[in-house]
Amino acid sequence: MATEVLRGESGLRGNNIDELFHPSSVAVVGATPKQGHVGYVIMVNLLGKFKGKVFLVNPRYDSINGVKCYKGLTDVDDEVDLAVIAVPAPVVPQVVADAVKKGVKALIIISGGFSEVGDEGRRLEDEVRSIIKDSKVRVLGPNCIGVYNAENGLDTFFLPEDRMGRPPKGPIALISQSGAVAAAILDWASRRKLGIGLAVNYGNKIDVSESELLEYFAGNPNVKVITIYMEGLKYPGEGLRFLETARKVAQVKPVIVYKAGRTKASVHAVASHTAALAGDYEIYRGAFRQAGLIEANSVREMFDLAKALATQPLPRGKRVLVLTDSGGMGIQAVDTLSTLGLEVPELPETMQTMLRKYLPPLAIVRNPVDVTGSATDEYYKIVLDSILPTSYVDMALIVALMQIPGLTPNLVNYIIDAKRYGKPMVVVSFGGSALMEKFNDALENSGIPVYATPDRGARALWALVEYSRIRKMLREEVE
Amino acid sequence: MTHDLVVKALSEGRFKLLDHEAYQLLEAYGIPTPGYRVVSNYEEAIKAANEVGYPVAIKVISPDIMHKTDVGGVALNISSDDEVKRACQEVSSNVKRLAPYARVFGYLVQHMVQGGLEVIVGGLRDSIFGTVVLFGMGGVLTELYRDTSMRIAPITEDDALSMVKETKAYQLIIGYRGMPRRDIYSLVDIMVKFSRLIVDNPQISEADLNPVIMLENGKGSYVVDARFMLKPRN
Repeated sequence: MATEVLRGESGLRGNNIDELFHPSSVAVVGATPKQGHVGYVIMVNLLGKFKGKVFLVNPRYDSINGVKCYKGLTDVDDEVDLAVIAVPAPVVPQVVADAVKKGVKALIIISGGFSEVGDEGRRLEDEVRSIIKDSKVRVLGPNCIGVYNAENGLDTFFLPEDRMGRPPKGPIALISQSGAVAAAILDWASRRKLGIGLAVNYGNKIDVSESELLEYFAGNPNVKVITIYMEGLKYPGEGLRFLETARKVAQVKPVIVYKAGRTKASVHAVASHTAALAGDYEIYRGAFRQAGLIEANSVREMFDLAKALATQPLPRGKRVLVLTDSGGMGIQAVDTLSTLGLEVPELPETMQTMLRKYLPPLAIVRNPVDVTGSATDEYYKIVLDSILPTSYVDMALIVALMQIPGLTPNLVNYIIDAKRYGKPMVVVSFGGSALMEKFNDALENSGIPVYATPDRGARALWALVEYSRIRKMLREEVE
Repeated sequence: MTHDLVVKALSEGRFKLLDHEAYQLLEAYGIPTPGYRVVSNYEEAIKAANEVGYPVAIKVISPDIMHKTDVGGVALNISSDDEVKRACQEVSSNVKRLAPYARVFGYLVQHMVQGGLEVIVGGLRDSIFGTVVLFGMGGVLTELYRDTSMRIAPITEDDALSMVKETKAYQLIIGYRGMPRRDIYSLVDIMVKFSRLIVDNPQISEADLNPVIMLENGKGSYVVDARFMLKPRN
């Protein structure tokens, strides 16, 4: 446990960490022609994608792959907003000293070999702390994978593109305590075209903390949902700052957190009943609820919820229209919805009578509305257009199993058309055909989240209801 | 901000408040406790029992005894003057026999609250989050079921209410299977005041209000037993 408080807490630095995400110029310290090296991958990524100036720094080269290479940061004859440092740990303090001298505004120290490896590393880390103490430079890391910004191509994730796909621009931001987890998430998201437009990993956290990153993303208009992968906070008293920041941010945009490391035995001395009952994770869970964060139970669930929160309006109430072509899927949806406190109200007699006129005789019109295996696209349209705009329901969970011969990709248009009713919709689509894949893609491209199973779709709707409750609660407290 | 009682206990080298000190501290924060008196012999005890009302409990007051029941230092459900006399003599001789070196400051005579739902409210210090408030189901199975919820102090009424609602105990509080509905707002009041108490007194390292007895709706709740562990702060 570190004894020093976070440097960013001192107030000395303001909260200017924008240069970490939107620099005009970046220097790669430790750039190298040696393929496979961290400095090489970062250099190639930035030269290829970054929309701004890139300077290479390494005393051993005059140029790398035809690009000029500087001996040191102080030799760069231009302003450097951000330096990405990928040199061996023992050299890092000197590079940081150069950066301070040069007036570099922000640093990302990728290098490992600091407090995570033992006493010598801790000494190096303290040295870096003391060098930056009286300067304005902001530091991410050390021992981190850095920043990914799809918008301007700033990418310090040192994994080659053929190993780790990069997700497209989009409304989701990720703050991850683990670099490897962040990389795996981005790779996974890129395959699913999930718009994680901003991602950051903060490593040993000697300066910039998750609280500051959270606050920063709250102020970024491109970010609609913030996701946090967390194993645990680090510094004494830091929890309060996190709690206060999160409360402020949750008023403005949804924050979803997945906390790993839930089973660790309590570390509290146990002289009372209370202490025996209070595990670390239970305290985090309480703090998350108090802060108005939405807690996910896995990485996958975190993005299931994020997808819905990023694309759907907030519901006014808790009542769900379940529209399905499979009774079984409908039952599964109702099971999860009711467990989560959402309602699937029976439709009024008048509505049922009207639906019966248009739907086949075997259809069930109470809610779930089951258009059965003989469903066509038109049946979905009829139900959506006649029920969704009424005040009997607040949102819809639509199950469309494309194995049924009557359904065509045109169903997508009917569902998209129903967006005009201003109520949240999620689609459950499960199977393996190319047709289904096309159907799913078309929906997601139009901002309708698709889930493979009813319980996941139901939980996404729950997240919308939950955030709507949280926002109301936090805003009322402010008034 | 620290209360005089806490300062006094620490200055005497004690790391736990005595029972009556704990009740006084709770009263200072407007937290209800059943009527009690501190007495030094059975004559005083009989008078006290009649004042606070039968049935009563009698407990030995000693800074040297951690678990009073282990040394026979507690007598419960006493409902007559004769029983008071006998209980005082028994408690006194038990303690002399089982904890011969313990200093005895006197006896606590306390009215026993009848027929309520037992819950626990607690507080502890966490290095990362600071002061943590806990709510949970009372009774012997608490640790088995871990039906608890936590928040960072100080808590608001809304926080307290949502803490209660997220436990299974809530079902019992609102009246499970024909059981009476309990006075939830008096519990919320105790939780909010208690969170302020432990924030104000940083020398309290851990605290249990166990049990808090919740009476039927409209009749309030009482802290029946309280334990405050102390730690000097430099």
